[in-house]
Amino acid sequence: MKKLLLLSAAVLVFAAGANAQESAGTPPQGMRGTPANLPDVSALGNITGYLSDDRADTGRNELGINEVETAFQGYIYPEMRADLILAIHKHDGKYESEICEAKASFLRLAEGLSGEMGKIHLDFGRINKLHSHHLPMADRPQVLANFFGDHELAGQGGTLKYLLPFIPFYTQVQAGFWTMAGHEHGVSADNTADVLDTSLSTVTVPALIHEDADFSPAGKVYTARLNSSFELADKTELELGLSGLKGRGAHYEEHMDNVEVTGVDLTLRLWPSAYKRLTFQNEWLHLKREVPAGTLNRDGFYSFLNYRADKYWDFGARFDYAENAWPGISYERALSGIVTRHLTETSYWRLQYKHRNLDGKNINEGWLQVSFGIGPHSHELE
Amino acid sequence: MKKLILASAALAFWAGAARAEIKVVTASSDLRYICERVGGAEVKVESLSSGDQDLHMVEPRPSMVFKLKKADMVVRVGLDLDMWMDSLINAAKNGRLFYGQPGYVDASAGVPLLEKPEGKVDASMGDIHIYGNPHYWLDPANSKIMAGNILAGLKRAAPEKAAVFDANYGAFVRELDVKLAGWEARMAKYKGLKVITYHSSWPYFARRFGLDVAGHVEPKPGIPPSASHLDGLMKKMKAENIKVILTESYYPRKGPDFLAGKTGAAVVTAAVSAGGAKDVKTYFDVFDRVIEGLEKAAGK
Ligand SMILES: [Zn+2]
Repeated sequence: MKKLLLLSAAVLVFAAGANAQESAGTPPQGMRGTPANLPDVSALGNITGYLSDDRADTGRNELGINEVETAFQGYIYPEMRADLILAIHKHDGKYESEICEAKASFLRLAEGLSGEMGKIHLDFGRINKLHSHHLPMADRPQVLANFFGDHELAGQGGTLKYLLPFIPFYTQVQAGFWTMAGHEHGVSADNTADVLDTSLSTVTVPALIHEDADFSPAGKVYTARLNSSFELADKTELELGLSGLKGRGAHYEEHMDNVEVTGVDLTLRLWPSAYKRLTFQNEWLHLKREVPAGTLNRDGFYSFLNYRADKYWDFGARFDYAENAWPGISYERALSGIVTRHLTETSYWRLQYKHRNLDGKNINEGWLQVSFGIGPHSHELE
Repeated sequence: MKKLILASAALAFWAGAARAEIKVVTASSDLRYICERVGGAEVKVESLSSGDQDLHMVEPRPSMVFKLKKADMVVRVGLDLDMWMDSLINAAKNGRLFYGQPGYVDASAGVPLLEKPEGKVDASMGDIHIYGNPHYWLDPANSKIMAGNILAGLKRAAPEKAAVFDANYGAFVRELDVKLAGWEARMAKYKGLKVITYHSSWPYFARRFGLDVAGHVEPKPGIPPSASHLDGLMKKMKAENIKVILTESYYPRKGPDFLAGKTGAAVVTAAVSAGGAKDVKTYFDVFDRVIEGLEKAAGK
């Protein structure tokens, strides 16, 4: 018994000693460092304040969390990666959770050939594939909102990308096939309409509810993109892209519409010194929408000029021109001024002012955006 | 007809010669220099960054993808300094260059690291280097390890030329040893000299030559200096009689100039990589110029 006591005491002393030794390197509770085999886990938040003098705008003059996103990223096999990006967005004043992207990437199927499968932001033009917090602006250009809807256009499917050989500059072609859920048309007893029946008497029937009045492509969607890049001079790069998309409208049951979108983008980037950068980015989109009554042809573009003055400050201006996707055509022109102050690579705050002219109606809008990232971040090619 | 045959022969020879070169893409201009020294006439080396760029913040571009696509070998600085290379290597889809493949060379392999953070790391510490300080090439002695990693890569790419590479490597190391002895002799009288540096780019350099880095213009890595931080630094410089501020050429001069104005210290602006200034053409020039600058500043 005595021996046992002694032994226990010895063990206690030893344990205490071990503890004392360890305490110097032990991080605070809840912060134990990263086991080596965890995926890269990162989270980000986007706090946005939005002001508008348009009284019809229900989301105006509010400040709050606009978006929370978590990302889990890592290798699943040599030359195979997985990215899971889950988000909660504010949409029409309500929070909705969604799988933003969930994809497996095959980095090299053959020399120059890669592929991706899953739910993916479509690689159309320069902006659609980017998550909103990576944009150099608080809102998305109007033409993208009018043709693709409020969010980045994402589909479930796959894409193949091929880096062309034997061409003396960077050229990549890609083609994808996707299915995209159309917008829901619910019926409810609370939403009714009066219609005439065959005997010409009025009856009340449940009517369609538009969960979402946005136009966007949906159904089975085919996409293709070709983009090239030219090094015009040392630290001067010109990038050209052509994009195409074919599918149906999101409210196909109602509108019976077939949709084609073509896009051209041109970006010039210059790096005059270590931290300075000048970006001139332009995107033009054309929408062709065939409805039973005829064909709608709509255009839109934006032109974005940005100057990064040093490590911390960006100054940008954007001009938007956008026609809508509906039979009653509308014309919108807008001019925005944007100032961004970077704190780190993933955190920044931003002020933006936008003057819109929608069919002659003037609207002023302003944003205060604080976006922050926690955890490791990838440095993507944009 | 004869002319045509001659022309074709010349063309074939030229094409053959062009194909025989090992195409190497490096992350930094210093790595390009070392690669050219070890590879000699057998290699054609391009660097994705120029010597006046801040390697923490290089923006990936499609033209870089194009260079990597054609390359036989890629040489990175490694650690977390050139993380921007990851997306480029992936985008190039060149099987030779993926991690662990024969054409993948991490120049930092085997370099004894300084400032390896212990325990939890987060953004409250600024833009901290999570694997340890990656500015290791600023100790010229480390270039032997870097050149050794490159030598191994080149031998994998062209084993038949191993003897040439070994000879080039030997010549590089011999020249380095001579230069290093000269630099150490010149720096001997500054052992213990206290300096302020802008970013923590200089711990390897300081350890090699016995300098004492007493503080940084940045309060934390990547964080711009605040007035109160500069004020504290100024007091420290006065109290400890610190007379030298060493700053990387790409950082703003405002903070260092303010401190120099208040304390009478001299600012040494140094290119940290080959090509970083007009008179800094090679990796060896980096040290020649920094040491010249320090001599001038400390002798004042
Ligand atoms: Zn650093």
